[in-house]
Amino acid sequence: MAVEHRNLHNEIKEKLQDDIMQDALSRFADQYPGARLKSYENVESIDALRDRLRDMKLYTADHIEKVADDFEAQIKARGGQVYRAKDGDDLKQCLLKICQENHVQRIVKSKSMATEEIHLNKFLEAQEVDGQKLHVRETDLGEWMLAVAGQKPSHMVMPAIHLNRQQCAKFFSKELHEEIPSDIPFMIQTARRILREEFMTADMGITGANFGIAENGAIGLVTNEGNARLVTTLPRVHVVIMGYEKLIPKIEDAAKIVRLLPRNGTCQRMTSYMTMVDGPTVVMQKENGKWVESKRKQYVILLDNGRLKAAHDPKMKQAFQCVRCASCLNVCPIWTLVGGHVYGHIYSGGIGAILTGLLGNMEAFGQFSDLCIGCRKCVSICPGKVPIPDLIDELRARYVKQYGMAFPEKIAFRKILTNRGIFHKLLRIGSMAQAPVKSGKFIRHLPLFFAGMTKGRSLPAISDNPVRDRISRLAKNNPSNPVMTAAFFAGCNIDFVFPDTGESVIKVLQDLNIAVVFPEAQSCCGKPALGMGDRESGKAVAKQNIEAFEKAGADVIISTCPTCAETLEKTYAELFQDDAEWRTRAELFGAKVREFTSFVAEQYEKAGRLKPTPGGEKITYHDSCHMRRGLGVWEQPRKLLQAAKGLEFVEMKNCDKCCGMAGAFGMKYSDISLPLLNEKLTNIKNTGATTVAVACPACMMQIGGGLDQQMPNVKIKHVADILAERL
Amino acid sequence: MEKVCQNWPGEAFDDTLVNPNSWKEFEENAKAAAAEIYRLPDMKAAKAKVEELLQELEVNKTVAVGGDEYPALAKLFSDLKAEGKEIYTDKFEIAEEVPTADLGISTAEFCIGETGSLCVDNYSYEARVTSMMPITNLVFVNANYTTKDVDTAFQVISKVFDKGYMGFVTGPSRTADIERVLSLGVHGPNRLIIFAMESGLERGSN
Repeated sequence: MAVEHRNLHNEIKEKLQDDIMQDALSRFADQYPGARLKSYENVESIDALRDRLRDMKLYTADHIEKVADDFEAQIKARGGQVYRAKDGDDLKQCLLKICQENHVQRIVKSKSMATEEIHLNKFLEAQEVDGQKLHVRETDLGEWMLAVAGQKPSHMVMPAIHLNRQQCAKFFSKELHEEIPSDIPFMIQTARRILREEFMTADMGITGANFGIAENGAIGLVTNEGNARLVTTLPRVHVVIMGYEKLIPKIEDAAKIVRLLPRNGTCQRMTSYMTMVDGPTVVMQKENGKWVESKRKQYVILLDNGRLKAAHDPKMKQAFQCVRCASCLNVCPIWTLVGGHVYGHIYSGGIGAILTGLLGNMEAFGQFSDLCIGCRKCVSICPGKVPIPDLIDELRARYVKQYGMAFPEKIAFRKILTNRGIFHKLLRIGSMAQAPVKSGKFIRHLPLFFAGMTKGRSLPAISDNPVRDRISRLAKNNPSNPVMTAAFFAGCNIDFVFPDTGESVIKVLQDLNIAVVFPEAQSCCGKPALGMGDRESGKAVAKQNIEAFEKAGADVIISTCPTCAETLEKTYAELFQDDAEWRTRAELFGAKVREFTSFVAEQYEKAGRLKPTPGGEKITYHDSCHMRRGLGVWEQPRKLLQAAKGLEFVEMKNCDKCCGMAGAFGMKYSDISLPLLNEKLTNIKNTGATTVAVACPACMMQIGGGLDQQMPNVKIKHVADILAERL
Repeated sequence: MEKVCQNWPGEAFDDTLVNPNSWKEFEENAKAAAAEIYRLPDMKAAKAKVEELLQELEVNKTVAVGGDEYPALAKLFSDLKAEGKEIYTDKFEIAEEVPTADLGISTAEFCIGETGSLCVDNYSYEARVTSMMPITNLVFVNANYTTKDVDTAFQVISKVFDKGYMGFVTGPSRTADIERVLSLGVHGPNRLIIFAMESGLERGSN
């Protein structure tokens, strides 16, 4: 499939300057989480419902041929016809034949993502049947407006969310050739009048399906406007176009979808209409001035387009768990800033990258998959529990395998990152080379085209005195009769950027009567390479680290960076799935890894040191994405802060929303990173806290840099620093 | 009238799944979805309320289904006709008149507490156009037939859903496609009025 050449940075800039869209998206992002939760208030356990949906969809993916065969047999038994289309072209030819056989002139459609995926409307409108050009109309209000405007939907559920009423009125005026005022009720009634005419004169109705039931051949349609009911009632031919992933085995399985889809999609306990159509139904038509009844013709086309391959892929089959509610977009910190259009394809956001890749367009995947920052917010609410960032990682690795890496990254990872000696030497050179732009611990301005990186935030300077150079001095304070030995995995940021925090970590551990060792052969955890899909470099550094810590022989391995901790604990073992020896070594290594705050909270609890103390200076806490949703750690750092003397803990709004750093993302997409940072700074400011605590060095870099330039009166501290100050 | 099931209470209901227990939750959720609900003791009260509505809504033309299943509805429709109201109940007449009708009267099988939904059996063409095309839809349902949640509703449905056309209706037709402002009646009715009958809505012997 051809991929147009795009300047993504320019497109992003344009969207960030679109005030109408920015206003709509920010209000929506603000209201959505609360409204969603309210719709679930009368449900016992959201999680249990999500598990149930995931299990059912996975079961279906595992038995997809059988389920599809049953579905087909049931429809045929009721008089419907079933076609299986291997791709978009196949489907278009099949549909054209159906139009010709039934002398179809006019078509009404209700929303169907599968038809958008293959650009069906454009094809149909160019076709002639019986010498007449086909007339095709979308009937979902938003889709209809966008079709008139020649625009693409920006959201799966709210296609026109980027527009305001004045813009909508313009499209109405254009379609009707008359001036339509921007009065919403008037526009709604106008749409009703025009589209009613379309329904009543259409020969064919095309719908998608939210589910297709193998047990009885019914398809389910979940809508609010009711257009799908008219599309399936008034025309004499009904064509269902659906992907294989919409199939479900049993009638009762539909409940597993409809208890979640409306709540997550539109924050409703149920949409206005949930309609199930099973086999051909009666239609009435006027013939020679007299009403006559006949059976409507029903066709169901199952679209493959890469889906069956995905169903058989042990990892990617998880994409089948998606029910297209689009809630992942609603909570995505990037999507809610840039909207759907910059993704450039039908499916936007993280799930969009995955679907686009699976549906055979890996090049397009490569173009916009890095707009997912892996914050896992989507995973925490997805009704089908699709592990979106993990699937993106998997596809990235496959992309790199297929297309290779860009040259600079290749050099950076394969030649530098995997060679600790060179890597650390370069960091030391960097600490000297930054001298001209450095001021104290920060780089506040960069020249020329690097300037964007220091707009609104300072960058931390690389230390000339990393943890590894301090360790011989610090180790002298190790307890003589320790309860255990901890090996400290510092990670690049703590070692070379925040070595003072590294020192705090060692002090806190020593205070717990723990001896600390620092295996000097340790290197980067490998996440930068792994995040770009370079598993070979990832494996190389994993082996170096595993070996280094095996030699240290400590009882636990402590990490102060949640991203490192997650990589060491989980990713290493996954990397060596096909290598029994290294998998075992990675598992043993991973089992020892402990994130600093959760480990210390546990020790403090045992020692009776985790009791809340009376307040004092206000302090708030920012949850790192990887800490909260990757490691599931959020209570422990709060308990530590509440127990720390002289502090009054206060929560900030959206405490677990990404600060905009997200690894290299914050540098590569500094235009997006900055508004995220500013939102975070505003939320910190509103708490009145004088200190913001973090437990992640990357967040400390981003928020600290922002505070330095914009709110210098507020300090940022790692939890380790706060604890060390109180020893 | 063609239906997915000709006798829902007989073939699909049992007391553990369908009972009056979830009325309160149904009422609350249906109202939250902008449905208007009248819980009525009998058909006499229903008739009075219908007459009131016809006046209030300035209804000129009504299309109505359900008379062949519920004798009380058949009587209501014929009484209204006898009083000079323009009301169509024959399926071909409905097809002819529905584009210009201002009120559609239809029926539902049971109510769902969790969501405030009505479970409707709309296999017949006339039931579908009656409930969807006029700007107001008045739905009769037995107030004693409620299910706790969507799971129990589907347990009921799966007993009888072999073919046809059915589903849930939850409040009027709505859209939020322009500025996320809730707007009713974009394609279907902008008012969904539910008459929940405590008695009188018994099925005929057919």
